[in-house]
Amino acid sequence: MPLLAALTEPAALSLTIDLAIAGLAVGSAAALSGIGLVVTYRATGVLNLAQGAQAMVVAYLLRELVVVWHWPVGLAAALCLLVVAPGLGVVLELGVFRPLQRRGAGPAETMVATIGVFILLTGAVVLLWGTGPYADAPSLVPSTPFTLPGGHSVRLDTAVQLGVVLVLSALVAVVTRYTPFGLQLRAVVDDRRLAELSGVNAGRVSAIGWAFGSFTAGLVGVLLAPNLLLDPYGLSLLVMETMAVAVAGRLRSVGMAVAVGLGLGVAGSELTRLRPGGQILPLVQALQSNLFVIALLVVVLLQGRLGTGSQAPPARAGGGAGVGRLVPERGVVAAMACTVLLLMPLGFRGPDLRDALQVPALALVLLSVVVVTGYGGQVSLGQAGYAGMGALGTALFMSGKVPGVPAMPAIPALLCAVLVTIPLGLLTGWPAIRRRGLALALVTFAVGTAMSRFVFDQPYATTGLLLDRPGFLADNRAFYAAELALLALGVVIVRNLHRGRLGRALTALRDHEAGASAAGLNVPWLKVFAFLTGAGLAALGGGLMGLGGRAFNAATFDPLQGLIWFATVVVAGADSALGAVLAAALLVGLDTGTAQGISTVVVGALALAIGRMPGGLAGTLARLGTTAGLGAGRAPLPPPSAQLTPLGERVRTHIARRTTAGQSRP
Amino acid sequence: MSAPARLTARGIVRHFGGVLAVDGVDLSVPPGRITALVGPNGAGKSTLFDCLSGALRPDAGRVILSGKDITGKNTAPKDIARLPDYRRARLGLARTFQQLSIFPGLTVAENVRIGAEARPGGTVRGLIGLPDPGPARAAAALATDRALRLAGLSALRDHPVSDLPTGTLRMVELARALAGTPRVLLLDEPAAGLDAAEAARLAAMLRALSAEGMALLLVEHDVDLVAELADTVCVMAAGRVVARGPAAAVLADPEVGALWGHA
Repeated sequence: MPLLAALTEPAALSLTIDLAIAGLAVGSAAALSGIGLVVTYRATGVLNLAQGAQAMVVAYLLRELVVVWHWPVGLAAALCLLVVAPGLGVVLELGVFRPLQRRGAGPAETMVATIGVFILLTGAVVLLWGTGPYADAPSLVPSTPFTLPGGHSVRLDTAVQLGVVLVLSALVAVVTRYTPFGLQLRAVVDDRRLAELSGVNAGRVSAIGWAFGSFTAGLVGVLLAPNLLLDPYGLSLLVMETMAVAVAGRLRSVGMAVAVGLGLGVAGSELTRLRPGGQILPLVQALQSNLFVIALLVVVLLQGRLGTGSQAPPARAGGGAGVGRLVPERGVVAAMACTVLLLMPLGFRGPDLRDALQVPALALVLLSVVVVTGYGGQVSLGQAGYAGMGALGTALFMSGKVPGVPAMPAIPALLCAVLVTIPLGLLTGWPAIRRRGLALALVTFAVGTAMSRFVFDQPYATTGLLLDRPGFLADNRAFYAAELALLALGVVIVRNLHRGRLGRALTALRDHEAGASAAGLNVPWLKVFAFLTGAGLAALGGGLMGLGGRAFNAATFDPLQGLIWFATVVVAGADSALGAVLAAALLVGLDTGTAQGISTVVVGALALAIGRMPGGLAGTLARLGTTAGLGAGRAPLPPPSAQLTPLGERVRTHIARRTTAGQSRP
Repeated sequence: MSAPARLTARGIVRHFGGVLAVDGVDLSVPPGRITALVGPNGAGKSTLFDCLSGALRPDAGRVILSGKDITGKNTAPKDIARLPDYRRARLGLARTFQQLSIFPGLTVAENVRIGAEARPGGTVRGLIGLPDPGPARAAAALATDRALRLAGLSALRDHPVSDLPTGTLRMVELARALAGTPRVLLLDEPAAGLDAAEAARLAAMLRALSAEGMALLLVEHDVDLVAELADTVCVMAAGRVVARGPAAAVLADPEVGALWGHA
């Protein structure tokens, strides 16, 4: 074992220890985040996907108080961590999650609500503080190094962080095991309703769980912020990746979360010693800095089931039949309004038309979510990854950077990119065969994040790429018209998926997976098919985004965009193709017409309100229409005069005879 | 109706973790008869049922589908223990669920038609907007109409299922199973949630299907229904079959009565 020998040589051993100590800084932050996630999950049954946004908000607030308002750090930190963060948790419990719980909402709806919180908080931060990164986040503890007995130096902040992790995990263990509150907590974890019946105040347990989880989130935020540039996305995403730690502990074990968190931190740090030459160096470096993404992907793939979420049906479009199937007259009116809206920009000029170019492209990406989630009933938070693949692929094919393929013009390049991306749909489609709900959400999110980190952020993707429109589409108006044609094609395909035998099959899959399978539908293939189609549509939309802006911008396809797009489609009614197109117009309109962040805040707020309007906006509209008397088409039709086969006739006589016989009996 | 078939299970074993839920069970579901599977809670009935229908794969044992083809010739027995449930359904093995399994996003007729359209292929045709070939569509429509008639649902065919009562939904589910013209029908507590009139109609319907040569297996808690319907009864306890035989004889056995005392 030369590697082991190399590691244990005195000089190398000393380096190993130094690296391990350095790794503890990241590791302890991940462990803290894991403690918060596990405690919240145990107390409330909710995996808090918004933890990263909570951390980011608290970090921003602390910076505002200290840097702008010149408060002393201690006072500001006390206010942020002991008042604001727990308060935020309690507000979320009372305002969002308790009403959902009361209504008996499933895990899918709860998950959408956590994503809504995430988006709302992110949008609010963008609105208040802009997207510009701040490098001056205050540190709670100075990073002065001190020397350990063995001669190794440790930074004071790392030591304090580690101490906090150990104290908090010990505290959680003691409280859970030895106090009346811990007993109540365990009772609520086992069976919430039963606990309530035996007099446990489950609401109070949840509120305390949220307050504690939010407190640790805030702590993670203020501890991590000084080490990075503070921007609305980076910190949240970093904290989201640490979900790996909680998932490794099956969302139940604090000890496991701490061990995995610290272990991954140290492992990432030790990996920095690997310095392979040549082309794989950037990849190895990406691996080092994104160890948590890999870990998240691995642990979620290893654990097919997660918490109670796996027994629940996947995200359903909404309550009951006919949602999204607008009554014909209304559907026609809405489609016409939509067409007029989309044709209007052809009369625009200059920057307005340039902004409008994003609408059809984004609409195609949102349609991909409609196919996967609205029709197929599968959660997908990773569609931004496929969109990015479409854009990057188009650029690579155009620049001749795909090995063995000469540079090609824009249109064949776009086509090739779409064709290459479709099979990549297997990356999320295959895991979806055996996973549902939360587990699938995490897999798709991890896949999207991995694509972003390992494909889009690599040097080859950021330098020397050519992405431009062909001559006859150089004019914005011509390009917009071409985009509309492709969008029309996309809408036709999406509508095909909602009618005929295929439409019935997908609806059956969405509504009752086991029933669909028992009725003879090839459920695994239908799921994979939905993801493949979704990948193709997203790639087409992403490629058009790139061509529209004449550049590949990795930030456009950030994993957090995937969350926002998913929430947008759910808000717009999940299984409404028209809703997705309108939502794209609305998102782009809000982004270009108002302050940055407004669109995100709107989507987030609507995602939280969705719990009160099943089926999303489209569903609500359809219901309004139905109650207003437009649903007359739904009245049962008179029985058709179909002929029975001879067998049918015989069976019918049998039944008639038996029934009369049965009734004549006493 | 397609040609009659027999479903035979040989030495079915299924574990859950360390628990042996089904311990080497043999079972035969012959055509033209109603076989009932009874036993106390936790006896392994549902696990065995799922192993037969394909919702679960047995750890060991064979599930054999044998019968005649359309021309009346005997076909080679086929071990379907490794096939997933949708493949078994396409071979003529239909099932219903104890918990209602209907599709709220579809109408009554569409729910039933799902069962009539269970065959491979057609996804890409659907994607580009081509309907199924005419004959296939006509056959599916015919099978759907027939199943709707059989279940007495013709008047409700274009009704969304989301606001129908439980009894009607049980019929929708049964009609969906029948729409695939199954040769073997597995029913998991089909009378749960039905009122007396609906249960009587269901019993009459099942008898009629059996009289036409279908092989029926019934998991049921209601002793009266079993006594009225079943030709053969199998009693399971602790993962094994402890008694089997003609319904009247088995149900009269005091030991079986003791096992099943609560019902």
